[in-house]
Amino acid sequence: MSISAATKAATDALAANRAPVSVNAQEVHRWLQSFTWDFEKNRTKYPTKYKMANETKEQFKLIAKEYARMESVKDERQFGSLQDVLTRVDAGNRVHPKWNETMKVVSNFLEVGEYNAIAATGMLWDSASAPEQKNGYLAQVLDEIRHTNQCGYVNYYFTKHGQDPAGHNDARRTRTIGPLWKGMKRVFSDGFISGDAVECSINLQLVGEACFTNPLIVAVTEWAAANGDEITPTVFLSIETDELRHMANGYQTVVSIANDEAASKYLNTDLNNAFWTQQKYFTPVLGMAFEYGSHFKVEPWVKTWNRWVYEDWGGIWIGRLGKYGVESPRSLRDAKKDAYWAHHDLFLIAYALWPTGFFRLTLPTAQEAEWFEANYPGWYDHYGKIYDEWRARGCEDPASGFLPLQWFMENNHQIYIDRVSQVPFCPTLSKGASTLRVHEWNGKKHSFSDEWGERQWLTEPERYECQNIWEQYEGRELSEVIAELHGVRSDGKTLIAQPHTNKDGKLWTLDDLKRIDCVFKDPLKAL
Amino acid sequence: MANKIHDNSIRDEWTQKIGALNTLAKGVEALDTFRHQYTTPFRNSYDLELDWGWIELKLEEKVALLKHKEFNDQQFLNQTAYGADAQKEADTVIAKMAATTDKYEAERIHIGFRLKFKPPIMPVNVFQDTDRILGTKLMELRNIGYYDLPLAELRKVRGVRVITG
Ligand SMILES: [Fe+2]
Ligand SMILES: [Fe+2]
Repeated sequence: MSISAATKAATDALAANRAPVSVNAQEVHRWLQSFTWDFEKNRTKYPTKYKMANETKEQFKLIAKEYARMESVKDERQFGSLQDVLTRVDAGNRVHPKWNETMKVVSNFLEVGEYNAIAATGMLWDSASAPEQKNGYLAQVLDEIRHTNQCGYVNYYFTKHGQDPAGHNDARRTRTIGPLWKGMKRVFSDGFISGDAVECSINLQLVGEACFTNPLIVAVTEWAAANGDEITPTVFLSIETDELRHMANGYQTVVSIANDEAASKYLNTDLNNAFWTQQKYFTPVLGMAFEYGSHFKVEPWVKTWNRWVYEDWGGIWIGRLGKYGVESPRSLRDAKKDAYWAHHDLFLIAYALWPTGFFRLTLPTAQEAEWFEANYPGWYDHYGKIYDEWRARGCEDPASGFLPLQWFMENNHQIYIDRVSQVPFCPTLSKGASTLRVHEWNGKKHSFSDEWGERQWLTEPERYECQNIWEQYEGRELSEVIAELHGVRSDGKTLIAQPHTNKDGKLWTLDDLKRIDCVFKDPLKAL
Repeated sequence: MANKIHDNSIRDEWTQKIGALNTLAKGVEALDTFRHQYTTPFRNSYDLELDWGWIELKLEEKVALLKHKEFNDQQFLNQTAYGADAQKEADTVIAKMAATTDKYEAERIHIGFRLKFKPPIMPVNVFQDTDRILGTKLMELRNIGYYDLPLAELRKVRGVRVITG
């Protein structure tokens, strides 16, 4: 064939069958769908009671290239703002000192949740069999990697540009001292990655993301902004833009199992357990972080909770899943009761245990006390009075030799830890619904604070094996434990945690604690 | 200093004991005895409550090394550390699990399987998939009729002694 004939043949062929000059994303997505796996032989590595359908769709239909383009634009805006304008206006130092402390907890803890969400969505990718559904989960894996970096970056930024960095940096080294970490790992770690793969999706996507990211990632930005913090909204709202995809993934998980008869047997039990697991920690901890960790108040936590958890999620979102047999969790009503007093109960204990933290706490000021009383009538008589007494005894001053924990001991108020949620509670001081239940089984005592958790433990005791701080440190002196487990600043003696945020106030050291000779005692031993 | 978390006399003592294990047979026996005595909710003793996780890990590490020394590749992939056919052992447990409809028996089968075979006793390629199959069945049985029994009844069935509540 001559060259001209060959050229002509090629030109004719092209005319009939045009070479693509560009491919639109939807075409690529359609093409991707033709890649399917042999599901007879290809099985998941993870256990699940459910069968995910092969035909499940996914709304976002993203391909990697589109995804990367979109996320890089978001990252540019976010890091650009942080590194340029926010640094120029000295944003780190405009944050109210109380809120600066709250972000030590919020961003470090959320980072753990994001990290486990990477693993959880990787597991779901492996468990699903529909190509579209796998693609949806895979996009979420990428998102969660992004979020892990973002949360780490918030604490890094505060450390570098803000006030009192101790605790923003290297918070993780204190993880075995205080009880807050352990409860957080129940919801953010075990809840997302252990047990049934679909149950993990329900924990992460249907409850964690569809229900609690609204208060956790959105409401927190309002509280942050009200307290002078422009850093957190810049990052967290960027995180939240990805959450729609995650809520949709949770929705699709339910759609994918809806036709399997297993769904009618197990789904509502798994949902109830997931909801109770998540709310038992988040309801008190978020309420406490907002109301007690801020100077300027946005609205009472009970209102936020009712709007987002009860009405929006329990009513509307779960209602939309009704056609797939999903019912509002039967524990929702009990949770609603917790949303009123539980965070006040928890702050009382958190403040008493302040040396075990990695942040500074402050007692409510007189102005704040007024706000609490106005929004939670009866607050002062129950809690406010106690804070007045602690303050009068000098709880903020290292020279006073007074720890609120001693007040609990003097007055015989025992602090127990719920075996299932890991959340501490004090039955003789709780205004919330917590009730003490203690069982002995195979030579070991276990305490619980509510009926839902007790049932979870009675059903799966091996899942909740752990040692709480009383069991771990029984008989040991407080300053010794803190020194051993890295709770001090770089001078080797000043505690990271402090009971005030007063710039002129003295900072407590290991020696101040040692003089008090506070010894850990497991209340279960006496029973 | 009393009872430190990371460095303490209990861990030192076990480091010595583990160091003395010089054959696979001895290592396997020590690990098996230790697991029954100190691990899982069915353990005989809570005496090592603060250190069992660390000690078990060190024992596993030692057994893995001894296995590496004494086993060839074929054995490594297909046999338990006792020398039995791993898949056959797994199949026996899977058949037992398939035959039960009782959640408490299923729990004993599953926890018992982990007690006896958790790697490095059974090769991971066999262990993991067996664990998935057993776990799936256990979760199914546990979640059926989850709320049927009132708490008071459930406590009795679980066999707890109620101290308060
Ligand atoms: Fe995320
Ligand atoms: Fe997410």
